[in-house]
Amino acid sequence: MTTPNAQQVSAVAPVSARARSGAAARARRLPRGIPTWLLLLPALAYLLATFGVPLANTFWTSISDPELSLENYRHIFTDPIYLTVYLRTVLVALSVTVLCLLLGYPLAHYMARKGGLVAASLLAVTGLCFWISFLVRTFAWTVILGNRGPYTEVARWLGFDPPPVLLFTTAASLIAMTHILLPYMVLTLYVVMSKLDVNLIRAAHSLGASRRQTFWSVVAPLSLPGVVSGSLLVFIFCIGFYVTPTLLGSPHDMMIASLISNEVETLLDFGTASALSMVLLAAIMAMLALYDRLVGLERITE
Amino acid sequence: MSANALERPSAANAIVALGVAIFILAPLLIVVPMSFSSAHSFEFPPPSYWLGHYRAYFTADWLRPTLNSFLIAVASSIVTLLVATPAAFAVCRREFGARRALQIILLLPMLVPSIIMAISYYSVFGVVGLNQTYLGVILAHTCISIPVVLTAMSASLRNLDRNLERAAAICGATQAQTFMLVTFPLLRPAFLIAAFFAFIHSFDEATIALFISSREVSTLPRRMFSSINLDADPVIAVASTFMIAIALTVMVVLTFLSRRRQAAEASR
Repeated sequence: MTTPNAQQVSAVAPVSARARSGAAARARRLPRGIPTWLLLLPALAYLLATFGVPLANTFWTSISDPELSLENYRHIFTDPIYLTVYLRTVLVALSVTVLCLLLGYPLAHYMARKGGLVAASLLAVTGLCFWISFLVRTFAWTVILGNRGPYTEVARWLGFDPPPVLLFTTAASLIAMTHILLPYMVLTLYVVMSKLDVNLIRAAHSLGASRRQTFWSVVAPLSLPGVVSGSLLVFIFCIGFYVTPTLLGSPHDMMIASLISNEVETLLDFGTASALSMVLLAAIMAMLALYDRLVGLERITE
Repeated sequence: MSANALERPSAANAIVALGVAIFILAPLLIVVPMSFSSAHSFEFPPPSYWLGHYRAYFTADWLRPTLNSFLIAVASSIVTLLVATPAAFAVCRREFGARRALQIILLLPMLVPSIIMAISYYSVFGVVGLNQTYLGVILAHTCISIPVVLTAMSASLRNLDRNLERAAAICGATQAQTFMLVTFPLLRPAFLIAAFFAFIHSFDEATIALFISSREVSTLPRRMFSSINLDADPVIAVASTFMIAIALTVMVVLTFLSRRRQAAEASR
């Protein structure tokens, strides 16, 4: 792996040196390629128009609707209703993250240690789930948890009559969001754990460590980067989640995304909705900065 | 030999892992049988089986949103590929000062929650008259697909053996010839993979479509959303089965493509 990389670097360096050496040199050696800025231009121009401008407009709305002031921000930081929603959003996101970790870690650990056909099929199951639309999965959970679904049957069979209601409660959106975000956690953990050197485990065992000791002093610390990266990823996706909590959760226990939509669709209060969006955006940016610090943002897509 | 046994995961681990895998698979096991159910509401297990929901699916009520989603996803994949591919070349093959910052900027549309983008588009598109148009949805979906395509293309570009291009250059090919005869053909599977990613990303997108599309330009996720939210229409099970089939196809194709790439790399 190192040799081609080194070659690549040495091959790239003269290109960039030449690219910097003025228009005259470039004109003489025209076919040397398209300048870097021109390669980047389409994507950057596109993002400026369809990403930068709409977000800037939302920011502007948050400080200018209905009048130019910080009133919207004062409002959403003092009204206890909004504060409850932030707290709930963070609590739900934390719970989902912990649930994903508790469920995802054993699965990823098993796949990484077991290997072979079993691991490959478990990986395929996780991958398939990753590719299935989250609306399909949300729909499936409305059926599973609904009052004519498997959950009710099983609960009745266990002697709960009537069974405790799950659908349209925070518990339902918690279960479904955990299910939807679990593949991110499992795949992130698996990437880290499958690279773990088996010889380290062998060494620990040959030195007399028990299964438990080996896990806590070798496997767990070495898989920590995966845990951090997976947890941050799940948390970041979870705090902005809109569709699933809206469809499965209780309208009285809104998360911030549902609140934003509610401000726009039923109250037509764009100022407040924009201010809330900016707060959510700031929270996401803070989490991303943390991710960048701990893991490196360029690795988020691995 | 006993050390060998300890390397393998414990039985308890196996049981928990199996349980989690069943949890992950549960929706699949529910949705596909439900599409053949005769019940007129969300009911499982189905009281009996028939194909009535499939017949209902193939009417304008559901077929129109499906077709809309297809058109929008295809169009936005094409635009995304055109816009993001040059950027992928720049990020992977050029050295420049702001490279890291740029990489992060190009990732952002994927990380900003779609509800924020949804209300932002809703306001801006309202002013320029793009709300409730195909173009509006395509523009929005292209924006959020750029990071996905960029990532997929970058991964393939990094795996590309540059010696092949060098060989072409040494043999006297011009830049354009090298690109058209060597780089582009080598990247064809990469384009396919990236296009699949973009397609699925657009095809599954619900939040933005909920805000900026109308009944006429309704996408399939939007139709599914209102089916769960308003009318509890069981035909959604058919649409879901259809989407699972798409996911399965994409996964098989991607596995096949990456196998072929691995085989090609191994034979080098």
